[in-house]
Amino acid sequence: MLNQVNKNRKLLLLLLVLPLSNYAQDAVVTVHTSYFSNALFNTLLVIIAVLLAVIVTLGQTLKKLADSDYFRNRYQKKEEGSSTGDALKKTSLVLLLLFGYHSYAGNGQPAAADDWLIGGLDMFTFYSLLGIIVAEFAVISILYNIITGLLKTERKQKPAPVQKVKTKTILEKINASVDIEKEQDIMLDHDYDGIRELDNDLPPWWKYGFYLTVAISVIYMINFHVVKTGDLQTEEYEKSMAAAKAEVEAYMKTAAGNVDESTVKQLEGADIEQGKEIFTGNCAACHGKDGQGTVGPNLTDAYWLHGGSMPDIFKSIKYGWVDKGMKSWKEDLSPMQIAQLTSYIRTLAGTNPAGAKAAQGDLYKEESILINDSTKTVSDTLIIKSDSLK
Amino acid sequence: MELQKFQYDNKIVKWFAYATMTWGIVGMLAGLLAALQLCIPAFNMNLPYTTFGRVRPIHTNAVIFAFVGNGIFMGVYYSLQRLLKARMFSDLLSKVHFFGWQLIIVLAAVSLALGKTTGKEYAELEWPIDILITIVWVVFGWNMFGTIIRRRERHLYVAVWFYIATLVTIAMLHIVNSIEIPVSFWKSYSWYAGVQDALVQWWYGHNAVAFFLTTPYLGLMYYFLPKAANRPVYSYRLSIIHFWSLIFIYIWAGPHHLLYTAIPDWAQSLGVVFSVMLIAPSWGGMINGLLTLRGAWDKVREEVVLKFMVVAVTAYGMATFEGPMLSLKNVSAIAHYTDWIVAHVHVGALGWNGFLTFGILYWIIPKMFRTELYSKKLANAHFWIGTLGIVLYVVPLYFSGIMQSLMWKEFTPEGQLKWQFMDTVTKMIPFYLARAIGGTLYLIGAVMMVYNLVKTTRKGSFLANEDAEAPALEKKYTSHGKEHWHRWIERKPIQLMIVSLVVVAIGGAIEFVPTFLVKSNIPTIASVKPYTPLELHGRDIYVREGCYTCHSQMIRPFRSETARYGEYSKAGEFVYDHPFQWGSKRTGPDLARIGGKYPDSWHYNHMMDPTSMSPGSIMPSYPWLLDDQVDVSSTVAKIKAMKRLGVPYPDGYERIAAAEMEKQAKGIAENLKKDGIKTLADREIVALIAYLQRMGTDIKNQPKTAENKN
Repeated sequence: MLNQVNKNRKLLLLLLVLPLSNYAQDAVVTVHTSYFSNALFNTLLVIIAVLLAVIVTLGQTLKKLADSDYFRNRYQKKEEGSSTGDALKKTSLVLLLLFGYHSYAGNGQPAAADDWLIGGLDMFTFYSLLGIIVAEFAVISILYNIITGLLKTERKQKPAPVQKVKTKTILEKINASVDIEKEQDIMLDHDYDGIRELDNDLPPWWKYGFYLTVAISVIYMINFHVVKTGDLQTEEYEKSMAAAKAEVEAYMKTAAGNVDESTVKQLEGADIEQGKEIFTGNCAACHGKDGQGTVGPNLTDAYWLHGGSMPDIFKSIKYGWVDKGMKSWKEDLSPMQIAQLTSYIRTLAGTNPAGAKAAQGDLYKEESILINDSTKTVSDTLIIKSDSLK
Repeated sequence: MELQKFQYDNKIVKWFAYATMTWGIVGMLAGLLAALQLCIPAFNMNLPYTTFGRVRPIHTNAVIFAFVGNGIFMGVYYSLQRLLKARMFSDLLSKVHFFGWQLIIVLAAVSLALGKTTGKEYAELEWPIDILITIVWVVFGWNMFGTIIRRRERHLYVAVWFYIATLVTIAMLHIVNSIEIPVSFWKSYSWYAGVQDALVQWWYGHNAVAFFLTTPYLGLMYYFLPKAANRPVYSYRLSIIHFWSLIFIYIWAGPHHLLYTAIPDWAQSLGVVFSVMLIAPSWGGMINGLLTLRGAWDKVREEVVLKFMVVAVTAYGMATFEGPMLSLKNVSAIAHYTDWIVAHVHVGALGWNGFLTFGILYWIIPKMFRTELYSKKLANAHFWIGTLGIVLYVVPLYFSGIMQSLMWKEFTPEGQLKWQFMDTVTKMIPFYLARAIGGTLYLIGAVMMVYNLVKTTRKGSFLANEDAEAPALEKKYTSHGKEHWHRWIERKPIQLMIVSLVVVAIGGAIEFVPTFLVKSNIPTIASVKPYTPLELHGRDIYVREGCYTCHSQMIRPFRSETARYGEYSKAGEFVYDHPFQWGSKRTGPDLARIGGKYPDSWHYNHMMDPTSMSPGSIMPSYPWLLDDQVDVSSTVAKIKAMKRLGVPYPDGYERIAAAEMEKQAKGIAENLKKDGIKTLADREIVALIAYLQRMGTDIKNQPKTAENKN
């Protein structure tokens, strides 16, 4: 009978390993079609692997239970009558068989090209993987039921507390610990200053978790450095920049805030307020909070180093004069924000704040007609109002 | 078999215990000061010795090497004697070890406050102290192995395996990472530069956590937890597997501190996968600790020592799960440079190291003083206030870390960064305040413990020499029947040490050798030139002031970083950086491309009073830089040292260096004068400005884009 049990066990193990070999095949296939670059595929694969680990753990637990004295006794007793344990084992075998078979069906054929894509995966692959997951869940629930069922019958079968039977806690079950009452059996003969050591087995979840991390690591290295399906940081960066550029361009096509130095016009009202806020946050450090100039030049007088017209100031802010200490702000401020800021700066002219820095650059003379003109055009043609920005 | 009588040396344990408590309080106070400085810059006190950049290394060195270090020695000296059934090999060596280590700590605190630093995190101490550390460590090893040789217990218990691994690995890490060329008695340059320096430094930094904060403490756990719980260790097999896998795998994981930086991709990937594989070996220790308490949980409810230990082991489990998660590149992309990392290490530091130390102290002090703990109630209060302190410390930093990172990465639809760096700093201040409160609670708990233990010592009578007896070891070992294969190495301490050393040497060797020898790993950039003498002085001031504690010099290849800071950093840009200054935290913005971003006068004003140039800044002021003169006497030595390290200065450059330096300094002084700032050209601020203006500009010496020509 023991032989029988052993044989069964081998079969069980084989069945557990079979699906694994499937995955290995699967991996080879997918490398060519670069499924590994698909996030959904990877996620499903990880779920499958995790569930598989759970199954193996439960299988181990079942094995342990089957090996336990209690179960053996019961097995022998039941030999005469109908053997539930046997039946259960058979059921689990069939299920595992089914599971293995299923995964064959799922992965044996190369993924068919299909127009229907789910998360970048063709439907066939997606449902196959999903099928495997469902099957794994089914196996897990059945294994779980078998285990709890066994333990329940154990409780039922021992009615009178002739000897107190301690039921294993969940923790003990998943750790495959030896009962505290029986720990003398696994007590090692070491004694270090009174410290004894038990010889409990490695907790199965820990052991298989360890294997799993090793497997993940191997797949990771293969993905990035052997078959090179994964993007390393430079490619990742370039892709993200291209995507961002496209996104911004698409937005700018529809959005109104698209001004540059050739189209910028003086803004008014709320935009000036916005400009002031931007000034306080970004420019005041060098130009003074009233534009009187500290490290940077005075912005309130009529002298300008690089021109005082709307487009000139806009350009100075946008591109900067890096050699003179004025940085380019085009990465920090949107075109509309630069327009608002320029408009605000132009309102500072002639404010004569306290502590104004001496004039630098050339005198810039505004043609008053132009201002009137431009203000007019602003009110006529400017489509964007500050509220449309929000 | 003759029964031998001998005595355990408790005195040395007591000394280390007192040192642990003293330095614990000192280190935590330094931490509290640093925490307060981040919310209230006035705590920097406008003094060079008390600015954050110097206080932070004092804090980290004090809590790691003084508090935990003495904690290790306390626990090792107590447990080793009992596990080996022998008195420590030599009382003299024990004393030399004790006083040597305390001397190192004092020298460290003073030299760090004076700004004597190598600028490499957790290895800041300058070369004379490095040598002293090596000597004292050898004394410790000598004493330990002497005891092992004279043991009366054939096999070494798992705790001793961990002690041995600690001993050899720390020696290896310390020596390899501390190779430096002295310039003067208190100044040296790291032998490695840039990428290589970074790789060596984080191999060291990561494994200092592994082999100073983890393995010795696992050893202590394996002794004190089963002793305190009076339960057998859960699984001998698990001890074996998790010990060897832990020490082997840990070493490889260093590059996870450098994800998305300029180190080669393959090294980063190794850092990732070995961190992932580290989960199980780390958890092996936690499982073995917690499951040892099976059947003793009712005791945990009663016994405060066990309470501390349970929280310690649990915190260890949390931190060692979080670590691998942080090592995933996509998580690191968010967490690196933020408070999240600070929170992570403090789960380990406050929870694992702190609480285990407290537990051990509460256990051994009454034992050695042959009395009961003065107040169980007070110890319980310490437990709760400490736990609350940890939670209050850690949770706000998780929030602030993630929040700040997301703010850094946020773009407007127009493609502009949504937040100025300063916005993201000012929003963090309330969280920093909450963290300081959490830290204060933790510190109060520690003070309560010291009071409680001092009272205990007053109550009891100290047993300096504890009688013990054990049969002598027979010359020849005869095995009784079948035994586990691992038993062989357990009775061979020398072999155990050698095998440990081989196991821990593999990972580092495989990661370093290609980076040092294969040229393609660090592509050179023709326009990157050595620093001028003035810039070199400026750089040394940058290192001295600990700027790296808040500023990184490594722009990662992300859109959010290149938009904010400019082109991402390339490996070839750092080939003359001895030491590298990539930093690990961005309390302030990255500085890799600060050069040319602001005018000289901006920097001058900013160093004098940061808030004048960036309102809301929490950076300390550095007024002394405006007055102090550059130490020109060291220029020649510096250039010579750099040349010896392979920096290609022209022949005889050290002779013209002083003149070159003066010329450049005058130029900067002129420049400042134009903006109305009068300063002498020989001031430190001028050198610092020279360095800051140089940073990251070399690769910009390429044709400008069409736009910029406008």
